[in-house]
Amino acid sequence: MSSSFEKHQKRRLISSYFSVVLSIALVLFLLGLLGMLVLNAKKVSDHFKEQVVVTIYLKDSAKDVETKQLEKSLAMADYVKTTEYVSKEQAAEFMKAENGEDFMDFVGYNPLQNSIDVHLKADFVTSEHLEKISAEALNKNFVEEVTYDNDLVNLMNDNVRKISFWVLVISGIFTLIAVLLINSSIRLAVYSKRFTIKTMQMVGATKRFIRRPFVWQSVRLGIIGAILALIGMAVVLYYLDKTFTELGLLSNPILVAILFGVIFGLGILITWISTHFATQRFLNLKTDELYY
Amino acid sequence: MSNAILELKNASIFQGESLVLSDVNVKINKGEFVYLIGKTGTGKSSFMKTLYGDLPLTEGEGHIVDFNLKTLKEKEIPFLRRKLGVVFQDFKLLPDRTINDNLLFVLKATGWKDKAEMNTRVEDVLNKVDMKTKGFKFPHELSGGEQQRVAIARALLNNPELILADEPTGNLDPQTSIEVMEVLQDINKNGNTILMATHDYALLLKYPSKTLKCDENAVYEVVQRKG
Repeated sequence: MSSSFEKHQKRRLISSYFSVVLSIALVLFLLGLLGMLVLNAKKVSDHFKEQVVVTIYLKDSAKDVETKQLEKSLAMADYVKTTEYVSKEQAAEFMKAENGEDFMDFVGYNPLQNSIDVHLKADFVTSEHLEKISAEALNKNFVEEVTYDNDLVNLMNDNVRKISFWVLVISGIFTLIAVLLINSSIRLAVYSKRFTIKTMQMVGATKRFIRRPFVWQSVRLGIIGAILALIGMAVVLYYLDKTFTELGLLSNPILVAILFGVIFGLGILITWISTHFATQRFLNLKTDELYY
Repeated sequence: MSNAILELKNASIFQGESLVLSDVNVKINKGEFVYLIGKTGTGKSSFMKTLYGDLPLTEGEGHIVDFNLKTLKEKEIPFLRRKLGVVFQDFKLLPDRTINDNLLFVLKATGWKDKAEMNTRVEDVLNKVDMKTKGFKFPHELSGGEQQRVAIARALLNNPELILADEPTGNLDPQTSIEVMEVLQDINKNGNTILMATHDYALLLKYPSKTLKCDENAVYEVVQRKG
């Protein structure tokens, strides 16, 4: 027999849970989007860092074998992304195309040198690493000179550091807001049951026994909210990936999976902790203090 | 000494900062039915609250069902309450579940595991208060008297050594009060010790018994004249 009261009670419960679930879902969704931003900010900055070129100029006297071997060993090194051999003829062609005039006409010969262009992996684009790499190359007697734009590297690293710092700060603030929002909805839900909690204590239930169903209930709501947030993130990710294919948002599925896992875990963790403390608060009050 | 279920010596009872009762000396033996009377505001409820651990006993000595109230730790309170049955003026049933679930909650909370045993116990206590046909109902679907009988049933679940009833008839009409009182009397005849706070003097006259009175910050025993 399901009386109309029971139905009403259930509907009321559902609507009060609904707001808790919704606030959890929205906050986690926002946090997830920010997480995606952080992940892809690294990708964008890496993209720029990997544009930095280290050019190794070779002496004209360098033998073909030596050049080949240097290029090969560079290509094998774990800090190198790509290498490209540029002969002086190619370089001259390139300059001609860029300047619109053939300088060989008034110089009379090709003053350029054979070179190897090296693109480094993003993590190794720092002043120290570049210095070490260039010193290593200069050790070879057939290498004339190694050049790279040190100022640009420093500027870039500086900016990346600043930007990631602020993104982290904003993420921190967002997480705090997330915790506070979820916490306050849960506290309201627990507050509405404070007399029930007190009664349970009066009949000899331990604090842990009373807390458990409350925590379990909230964690369930947290799981539902997290799932909604993940669905939202998946939809956004799908459309962004479709619109901006070049960013390669889904190129690292493990990272995306970890982000989803973290958001899911946060949903559980935040609800768990805040229910624990909200319930504990009322468990520790004496009956008379409930009325204040 | 072995007979005393509750014993207070030179105890002072505080409500917050203010002293409500001082120099309380009370002894209740097994199987007794004791009234605690007094006007509102004389400290009956504070006295009861101190006994079931809702107010701390800071001065004097107090022993209740093997627990020392003076040294009672927060952690021990649930276990003290399992040895007591507490009945409140406002029933305090859990409004979000049926009568059966109310009683089952108490059993689960106090460590019962066996489903069948639990159901038998619930049926037993409901039978004692003549409410076994109402188990499927919600508290708000019952009358005040019926709710109070359920509350008494709840207090009986763990065979408590002492039942504390804080104005159990305070919210009930005279006829229903008598019904509830009959239930308490029956329970007492079965050997349970009962301490009942009340200001219903009609009940005292109808069911005379040992009576304690709270007045002017003190508790003392009064002798009833037999009517």
